[in-house]
Amino acid sequence: MHGTEIALSARGVRLEYMDRATRVSMLAIERMDLDIHEGEFVAIVGPSGCGKTTFLKIVDGLLPVTDGEIVVGSGGHGRDHAMVFQDSSLFPWYSVLDNVAYGLVCQGVGKREAQDRARPYIDMVGLSGFQSKFPYQLSGGMQQRANLARALTVDPELLLMDEPFASLDAQTRELMQAELLRICAAAGKTVLFITHQIDEAIFLADRVIVMSARPGRILADIDIELSRPRELSVKRTAPFTAYEDQVWKLIASQLPALGPQRAAA
Amino acid sequence: MAAQSSQLSRRKHPGNAQPPRIVLPERLVLGVIGFVAVLIVWELVVDLKLEKASLLSSPTRIVTAAIQDFGSGAIWPHIGTSFLEWGIGFALAIAVGIPFGLAVGMFRRLEYLVDPFLAALYATPTVAIAPLVILVLGIELPAKAFLVFLFGVLPMTIATINGVHSAERRYLDIARSFRAPAMLRFRSVILPSSVPYIIAGLRIAGGHALVGVIVAEFLAANAGLGFYISFNGTTLNSARVFLGILIIGAFGVFYGEVIRRIEAKFEVWRPALR
Amino acid sequence: MTAATGTMRPVRHPSLRRRRSPLARWYRRHERAVLGIVGITAFLLFWELGSRAGVIDAFFFSRPTGILEAAVAEVQLPRFWNDVRVSAFEFFGGFIIAVGLGVPLGLLLGWYRRLSYLVDPWLNLFNSLPRLALLPIIVLWLGLGTEAKLATVFLGAFFSIVIPTVQGVRTVDRRLLDVATSFGASQRRIFTSVVLPATVPFIVTGIRLGIGRALIGVVLAEIYAQTEGLGVMIDRSADTLQAGRMFFGILIFVAAGVISVQGLRRIEESFQRWRPAQEES
Repeated sequence: MHGTEIALSARGVRLEYMDRATRVSMLAIERMDLDIHEGEFVAIVGPSGCGKTTFLKIVDGLLPVTDGEIVVGSGGHGRDHAMVFQDSSLFPWYSVLDNVAYGLVCQGVGKREAQDRARPYIDMVGLSGFQSKFPYQLSGGMQQRANLARALTVDPELLLMDEPFASLDAQTRELMQAELLRICAAAGKTVLFITHQIDEAIFLADRVIVMSARPGRILADIDIELSRPRELSVKRTAPFTAYEDQVWKLIASQLPALGPQRAAA
Repeated sequence: MAAQSSQLSRRKHPGNAQPPRIVLPERLVLGVIGFVAVLIVWELVVDLKLEKASLLSSPTRIVTAAIQDFGSGAIWPHIGTSFLEWGIGFALAIAVGIPFGLAVGMFRRLEYLVDPFLAALYATPTVAIAPLVILVLGIELPAKAFLVFLFGVLPMTIATINGVHSAERRYLDIARSFRAPAMLRFRSVILPSSVPYIIAGLRIAGGHALVGVIVAEFLAANAGLGFYISFNGTTLNSARVFLGILIIGAFGVFYGEVIRRIEAKFEVWRPALR
Repeated sequence: MTAATGTMRPVRHPSLRRRRSPLARWYRRHERAVLGIVGITAFLLFWELGSRAGVIDAFFFSRPTGILEAAVAEVQLPRFWNDVRVSAFEFFGGFIIAVGLGVPLGLLLGWYRRLSYLVDPWLNLFNSLPRLALLPIIVLWLGLGTEAKLATVFLGAFFSIVIPTVQGVRTVDRRLLDVATSFGASQRRIFTSVVLPATVPFIVTGIRLGIGRALIGVVLAEIYAQTEGLGVMIDRSADTLQAGRMFFGILIFVAAGVISVQGLRRIEESFQRWRPAQEES
């Protein structure tokens, strides 16, 4: 189902930074090599603080790398990438419509036109009728729908998602996962998805990348061979739980309290 | 877009290239540069002998005046007078403002009753009442202490009321659910929630009270820093005007520091508020 | 709540309230306004009657009707209207200059870190000084005329506006800045779509504080300079023991303060429809 074109290529990405308090150079990401093909859904999981969000920010251009190279996009339609942020990243002073149209406005599209082009995406994420509401008037799940629509509106080749469902309650999260799959299938996007929920990663992704504890590097790159379209019920099947076990063991090996072999790494 | 992505790929650590060891000193260095630059310009402008330039005084003249007046001790009575007025007036403001604020904050009906007065007084420039106070109480210590009180009491009251209102519903509900008697509810929920606000109120009200001291001494006095400032103003002794202002400013800074200490002591149970 | 009472007799739990008479319900709905009016009326009555009975010294404190009489006499004098005009000009003039310079400067200082490092020491110094104490220097420089008063009002309000504005820009939510950068917003757009809206509440706070300071500046500068304006009217009335006229003058400032603060609240509300609820101030 994926093209052969590379949507994202990371080569030897390394990130050091200076800790402001201690003035000691810290290594956040040791080395990341990653290719994502067009149309692929790749999820990165890892213990908290492993640098997965940092990596996403590097891909988005929000952080400069210390070493290595990142190439995004092949030069097709629209913008090459767009980010779906964690919770409360909607502008509180803009209506849903203005928030969703924001990316286009930033590209210099006129306000009226940007709004017109934003509307279909508001419908796509199921927020029809809420476009003139302010973010505080929406539930957490609805806010994240708007957040997703904002990224989709710029029609990116690569969608970067930074733990977008982390702060939602369990039921809403599951619902949103299924919604995301539906929307991605409809829009045909390449997705790089960061999460700390193992089941979320497996359920959504074609490939799950497991990262080590800090400094971050790739421990494993697992192909998830579950057929699509996936229903939520797939989470209760044996292959699914086998994947879960596999990923959990990798992550557990990185947790100080659980993995005595951590010192060796 | 292609250009954008290649630009992205070429981005090799511009941010981390310069080690951020300059981050902290930069603030200090630029601060000192800015401060000293103004002092130098100030000093030089006066030497240009422009018309009225002498009225600007200059840093060296202010220092000279400080050495003279502190050396002869002539300034101490003024400082003492002002401090006494401030102390008495502000103590009164605290003694009235906190209990009154707590009462207004806790009893809804009382709040409804006094709300229009508080709103009006809050918006009133207290100086406008100064002539009345001087008329009734004269120009001695009671009049000035009372003016200082007037300046300080309202901010104190309002901060306390806001503090009581800040007591979160859910904590009050917890207390009520455990059948805490009213007094315990007050001590276990309302008072702790109010403390940060009361301390913030102390900071603001203390500053207002200081303004009260100056206003009182500008309008009617024969001692005190406000008198020192306005007297030296009328005799064109601008260095001493600045000196007086700086002393008051220094006291303000010192007082702010005291409040910060108190704040730190009271705030162990909550993460730093900024 | 009333519909169900016919068929179901609820168990009397202590928290269940009896049905109230219409008057009691009306009172509950308007309790705040009713008690507010009661408070003011009681105060005025006490003042009036106390003054007539001699409990309150009318010589110093006049009485409501006395103030009213003084007001009626006063508004017929051209001198009074001149005073009003002068004071209003000083207030609005100084205040508008303070806002016009303070808000842009605050935005600049919040945005350009290095610039703020340069001016921070002076800003903090001035902010911790009671600026009203500069009045004698201002008079030395600018004389007793309008300029000195404009300068006093300006100095009173300026720092109250600059400092919260700087604070507002500096505390803009990091995440929202990331969002804007991520979507490729230009510096200018980041400023108008993130920094400015996030700072508006701080600017409004600064302006509210500034109004108070500016009013104090007007009164003090006028009383100090003793030339013209409502401050002089209040002071002269006190000196000549015309308590009614003095209170009338004070009331004008009370009204000015209340109207500006309330007006500002209106503006604030229309600016901030995006905020969940209005907090008490």
